[in-house]
Amino acid sequence: MHAPDEQAPAKQAADKQAPDEQAFRAEVRDWLSANLSGEFAPLVGSGGPGREHEFIEQRMAWERRLGADGWIGIGWPVSAGGRGLPWSHQVIFYEEYARAGAPARVGHMGEQLLGPTLLMFGTAEQRGRFLPGILAGTQLWCQGYSEPGAGSDLAAVATRARLDGGEWHVDGQKVWTSLAQFADWCFVLARTEPAAQRHRGLSYLLVPMRQPGIEVRPIVQLTGTAEFNEVFFDDARAAAGDVVGVPGDGWRVAMGTLAVERGVSTFGQQLGFQREFDAVLVTARSTGALEDPDIAARIAEAWVGLQVMRYTALAALDRPAADVPGAEVSINKLIWGTWHQRLGELAVDVAGAAATVVGAGYDLDNAQRLFLYTKADTIYGGSAEIQRNVIAERLLGLPREAR
Amino acid sequence: MEFADTPEQALLRDTVRAFAARHGTPEQVRATMTGPTGCDHHTWERLARELGLTALAVPERYGGAGAGPAEVAIAVEELGRVLLPSPYLSTAVVALALSDQADPAFAERYLPGLADGSLIGALALDADVVSAGGTISGVARHVVDGGLAGLLLVRAGDQLMAVSAADTAIEQLNTLDQTRRQALVRFDQTPALLAGPAAPVIAMQRVLLAAECAAAARHCLEVTVEYLKTRRQFGRPIGSFQALKHRAADLAVAVESAHATARAAVWTAATDPAGLATLAPLAALHCSRTFVQVAAEMIQLHGGIGFTWEHETHLYLKRAKSTQLLLGPVSGLRTEIAGQADLLPGRRG
Repeated sequence: MHAPDEQAPAKQAADKQAPDEQAFRAEVRDWLSANLSGEFAPLVGSGGPGREHEFIEQRMAWERRLGADGWIGIGWPVSAGGRGLPWSHQVIFYEEYARAGAPARVGHMGEQLLGPTLLMFGTAEQRGRFLPGILAGTQLWCQGYSEPGAGSDLAAVATRARLDGGEWHVDGQKVWTSLAQFADWCFVLARTEPAAQRHRGLSYLLVPMRQPGIEVRPIVQLTGTAEFNEVFFDDARAAAGDVVGVPGDGWRVAMGTLAVERGVSTFGQQLGFQREFDAVLVTARSTGALEDPDIAARIAEAWVGLQVMRYTALAALDRPAADVPGAEVSINKLIWGTWHQRLGELAVDVAGAAATVVGAGYDLDNAQRLFLYTKADTIYGGSAEIQRNVIAERLLGLPREAR
Repeated sequence: MEFADTPEQALLRDTVRAFAARHGTPEQVRATMTGPTGCDHHTWERLARELGLTALAVPERYGGAGAGPAEVAIAVEELGRVLLPSPYLSTAVVALALSDQADPAFAERYLPGLADGSLIGALALDADVVSAGGTISGVARHVVDGGLAGLLLVRAGDQLMAVSAADTAIEQLNTLDQTRRQALVRFDQTPALLAGPAAPVIAMQRVLLAAECAAAARHCLEVTVEYLKTRRQFGRPIGSFQALKHRAADLAVAVESAHATARAAVWTAATDPAGLATLAPLAALHCSRTFVQVAAEMIQLHGGIGFTWEHETHLYLKRAKSTQLLLGPVSGLRTEIAGQADLLPGRRG
C-alpha cells in the first residue's frame, strides 16, 4: 500500500504548485498539527455523515478555535472579514483539513451557505450583524428548506410567515434539518404571500432558534443514530428586517447561493473517501477476501472510480465560472454519491457474515455504518434524479417537462 | 494539472476541427472506409503537408514541429470525433516513440519521413515472434493500419523491434470497424532493429486512444442530445421525457468524467511520463468503456433510425467496441492498475 500521502490529491497537486500555494499548504498543515492536540486531540476523525452526534460540544469549541485564528471564510472577500483567497488555496485548505483528520465542521451551514448568500443579497446591516459571528465560529446556523411536502419539489414550501406588529410570525414545519438542536439561527424559506404560487411569494427569513415558538425533534435514521431533525414553528418570531433580499423574492436568493458553489469542498471529502477505501482494503487483505476475484475486481474499480472522481472535479474547476453554473456540482454529486454507495456495499461484502452482528445498543462498525448511511447519498442535497434533471436541462439544454 | 487548452492549443483544435469538418464529412468517411485501402491519400497528404499534423510528434531537428503528446492528442481527438479514416494515431505513436528513445542514426533514418507523412508507422503489439541474429520470425495479429504502414514496431517480449513493412508479408483483414483497418503480418527472418522498451510506447498509445474515445463519446452525446431536442412524439420533443433525459444526463456525467480522465492522462504524458504506469491503463479502461456505453445508448435513444446502416451510430459503436477489445480484456487492465496501485492480495500496506 502506498502511504496515503502518495496517492492523495494534495501530493499530486502539490507537485506543480506555485510557491505561494506551497507556503500556504505548509501554513495550514502547521496550524492543524499545532492545534489538533491537547483538548482537541480526541476529535481526530470525529463527526461527519452517520456520526454527527460525536463530541458535539468539543467540536463547537473547535469551531471557535478555527474562527479565532482566521480559518473560517478564507474565500470571503477581505472587506467582509475573510481572507480573499482564490479557490486553489481553498482546495489546499480542505485537503489539509481532511488529511489531518480534523473533525467534521458544525459551522459549514453558516460559512458555506448563509455567509455567501448575505454577501450576494444581504444588506450592510445584515452583513455587519451576522458575518462576524460566523467567522468567529460562535454563531451556528441550520438550513430550513425541506418540508414534509416539499422535498425534491422545494417550491411547494408551505411554511407561512406574515408580518404583524413589526415582526414576522412563522408557522409550519421543516424537516431533515441537520444540527438544528445546536444551531443559534435558521435560514428559513417561507411563504409570505399566501396567494402566490410555487416559486413566487417565498421569502428568505433569518429566524433565531432559541425561542418558545420553535420545537426541535430528532429523527432516528436507519443507522439508529439521529443527525437530522424536524423543526416545528408555532408562531415563531423573526425581526421584520431579518429578511434577505426583497420579501417574496426568496426563491432567487436561495438558488443564488447554489449557483456560485463550485464544489471546492469536494477535495477534502475525497480524502475522506480515500481513507474509507483504505480501511476496506486493509480488511479485504487481512481477512483474505481480496483473494476472491470478484472482490478484487470491485476493489480495483473503486480505486479507479476515486481517481476519476478527482480528475472530474479538478477539470470542473479549470472551466470558466460562467460555463453552466450548477451543472458541475450535479455531476460531482452523482459521481460521488454513486461511488460512495458502492463502497458501502463493498465494505460489508468484504466483511462477510461478520457484518451481520452489531454491538450493544445497535452500535455499528465502520463498514456497517458506511453501508447504511451511504443510502442517503443519492437522496439528500438534491436526489440523484433531481441532479439528472439539472444536468439535462442546464448542461444539455433539454426541454423542461410539464411540471 | 492542466485540463483546458492553452490559446495555441485552442487554435490548433479549431484548425483540425475545421479540417475534419471539410474532409471528414459522413459521405467522405463512408467512401473511404469502403475504398481499397481504407485511407484517402489526398486527405492524408493535406493532413500531413498542409496542416503539419504528423510533424507535431517529431522534434524540430528531424523535420518536425517539436510539439508533443498534448498537441498530438488534440489532433487525435478532433479526427476521432468524425472517425476520419487515417493512420494518424498509429503514425504519431510510432513517431513519439522514436523521438523519445531511438539512437540518433535510427531517428535520422525514420523521423523525417514520419514528420512529413511520407512514412506511415504502425504498432504490432499482438505479436508472436522469435528474434535471432538481427531478424524476427513469426506473426503479428490485429495490426491496426498495418496495410498502410511502411514502418512497423513489433513487440518482442518487453522490447519493440523496428521492421520495414516491405520485408514482411501483409494480409489485409476485413474489419468490424471499417473506419480503422487491420492487417495480419508475417515475418520470416525479417531484418529487425531494436527500437527500445515496449512499455512507454504502449502507455502512449493507450493515452491517445483514451483521448480519442473521450472525444468521440462527446460527439455521440452531442448528436444524441440534438436528436432528443428535435424528434417529437406525443406532441412534444422526446427530450422532455424524464426517462430519456435521465439517460442523457448519465451519459453527460460519463462523458465529463472520461474527458477529465483523458486530459489528466495527456497532461501526464506531456509532463511526467513515469506517471503513466497507472494512469495509461486507467484512462484506457475508463474512456473506452465510456465510449462503448455512450455509443450503445446513442443507438437506443435514436430508436429505429439508430439501427440503420445509413445512420452514423453504428460506426461509433463499432469503433468503440473494437478499441475496447484491442486494448485487451478489462480484467487485464484492471489487474495492471491494481498492481500499480498496490491493491493486489498478499502484500502489505
